[in-house]
Amino acid sequence: MTSTVTAFAQVADFARPPIDWHAVAPELVMLSVGALMIIIDIVKLERAKPYAAALSGLGFLAPLVPIATLAIDGVASEPRVMFGGAYVIDGYSLVLKALFLIVGYLVVLLATNYVGEGDYWETEFYNLLSASVLGMMVMASARDLITIFVALELLSIPAYLLAAWRKRDLKSNEAGLKYYLMGVFASSIMLYGMSLVFGVTGSTLLTEIGATLDDGIGSEPAVTLGIIFVIVGFAFKVSGFPFHTWAPDTYEGAPTPVTAFLAVASKAAGFVALMNLVVIGFVEREEVYQPVIFFIAAGSMFAGNFMALRQDNIVRLMAYSGVAQAGFLLAPLVVVGEGPEVAATAVSSIVTYLVIYAAMNLGVFAVILAVARKTKSGEISSYGGLFDYAPALAVLMTLFLASLGGLPPLGGWYAKFGIFRSLLEPGTGWGYTLAVIAAVNTVIAFGYYGKIASRMWFDAVPDDDRTRIVVPAALATALVLCIAGTIVSGVYPGAVTHFTDVELLAFR
Amino acid sequence: MSEFLRSYLTVGLFGALAVLVVGTFLGLSSLVRPTRPQPQKYINYESGVDPVGTGWSQANIRYYVFALLFVMFDVEAVFIFPWATRLEAYGLFGLVEMFIFIFILLLGLLYAWRKGVLRWI
Amino acid sequence: MELTTTWYLVLGAIIFAIGASGLMIRRNPLVMFMCVELMLNAVNLTFVAFGRELDDLGGQVSVFFVLVVAAAEVVIGLAIIVAIMRHRSGATADDLSVLRG
Repeated sequence: MTSTVTAFAQVADFARPPIDWHAVAPELVMLSVGALMIIIDIVKLERAKPYAAALSGLGFLAPLVPIATLAIDGVASEPRVMFGGAYVIDGYSLVLKALFLIVGYLVVLLATNYVGEGDYWETEFYNLLSASVLGMMVMASARDLITIFVALELLSIPAYLLAAWRKRDLKSNEAGLKYYLMGVFASSIMLYGMSLVFGVTGSTLLTEIGATLDDGIGSEPAVTLGIIFVIVGFAFKVSGFPFHTWAPDTYEGAPTPVTAFLAVASKAAGFVALMNLVVIGFVEREEVYQPVIFFIAAGSMFAGNFMALRQDNIVRLMAYSGVAQAGFLLAPLVVVGEGPEVAATAVSSIVTYLVIYAAMNLGVFAVILAVARKTKSGEISSYGGLFDYAPALAVLMTLFLASLGGLPPLGGWYAKFGIFRSLLEPGTGWGYTLAVIAAVNTVIAFGYYGKIASRMWFDAVPDDDRTRIVVPAALATALVLCIAGTIVSGVYPGAVTHFTDVELLAFR
Repeated sequence: MSEFLRSYLTVGLFGALAVLVVGTFLGLSSLVRPTRPQPQKYINYESGVDPVGTGWSQANIRYYVFALLFVMFDVEAVFIFPWATRLEAYGLFGLVEMFIFIFILLLGLLYAWRKGVLRWI
Repeated sequence: MELTTTWYLVLGAIIFAIGASGLMIRRNPLVMFMCVELMLNAVNLTFVAFGRELDDLGGQVSVFFVLVVAAAEVVIGLAIIVAIMRHRSGATADDLSVLRG
């Protein structure tokens, strides 16, 4: 008890921390919009429903304004550092915040009709989505163990509820419960790792942890165990092998727009946290994290691709394909310890991949939603002859799948190219081996992407039911935005790399 | 013996003394008092009403919702206590900060109230 | 005999291991929640022990956040369970197998 009292007495000379209001404006705008939506819900109850989707769409676009002004202000060259280095706003975090907001907006577009037509709570859906995106925005700037933890929970807890959204559907409940149990298990493991890292290095700031580990202090088993636990905890989040088992079940049971959100935004947030932790905090402990990440990356690629080959439900197939893509995204982290330039290439290649992956993966889910409006099914066989009665959707789906597979000149090609370049650049054995594994897996992936495509183009229409698919305006907008992103990023990659060529630096 | 363990010895002695005193008085009174057993005397006491069912009957699920709300708002106090001990040092800045925090909590409570969660159906 | 920080760390590790193995072995969701709580409290113990040892406030501040977030997590988990129980009684994690895997 006495220690608690003395510990608090340490802060006797309290000085108000300087707050850069401009730098935190995106988060504050997001928070205010979220609070406003709850207030409207409290005041108007059911009458708030018609505005919910539009308001939340605006809520995702509004914080882009302060992000743009910050970018014009030159934050990329002069980062704003707050709270003693725990919160950093630089080019890297701005790009990721913009990515999360745009993904949030696209998910609102995907969900508008789905949520509006279902017999579900409506305003709460958008409130939870905003809360989750706010957590992701904080994650992009977090450079401190506690901040990372709070951001992770802020983005995960609404996601658990969203997965169990269809309250009266046992499948959705089960998806939510499985996601929840795996999620809390992972975050407790990660927290235990964080407590060990804190104990050895004596700080929660990533830059100080990096400096302490650099000095060679704390070579005890504790720090090894701590780093491994933290990485394993986030491997759950990004559904990396062998911690991917929740993904197919959760993706299948959750409402499809939520699945799209989990597959793109939530996974990206996990990678952001991993990048922050590994590149700034643990970078000098290559001997610890290199084998772990190598194993998870290689295992994810193989397990994801081979399991995807055997699926006959398209959402489960996309879940396993997502596991394989997580392997690709993890791969550059294996080589970040080779030097600052290598780390910079690796980080910008991962960010580029995340942006392009968001466009093409959301596109696939938009098509799945559109087709399911007619067939009410997720079986791949229900895609037979899609080209006959919905040629536009079939062409779009083929383009998205080809991009996911990595065919030039679509975006996925450039994304994969960046990963290979960052793996080969340092010229180490780890990098070469992983590049070979990635190349083999790129070929395997064509097996199942091609299977869906051939169903759509060559198979007969099931039951000869050729009724047209009516794509609502919101869904059509999302499809147009996704296909534009996918094609532009492949044909003219400079448009993407102009924004994603960012560095993740440690500020000491 | 260390200082640390000695303080445990004190606790142990007090415990033993308590058991001894209570045991002595209860034992003495059971020897002295008259005993006239009747079945009614052996029924479990439940707020003056005869008990119904077993002790393991399920609680109504409505209690859960209140319990959930209680857990939610209860732990937030952990942030308020340290703030309260140092209120003067933080000045107006700290006051405004805490009011924003409480305002967001209040939004949650208002939300629960408006959605009819607090009503006992 | 003096109780050093190591004792608390060992106790934390043991509680964490009990919680983790319980989570993997037990099949009743409520018991699984208790195991999660055990794991989180083991983390809290470790944080506090390290914070005391290093004379650093960070350890105790972490515990505050872990406590609050753990409460929020448990509330969400119980809410999901209540939603499931309204449709069926006596669910265990194994009964939940509408989805493959």
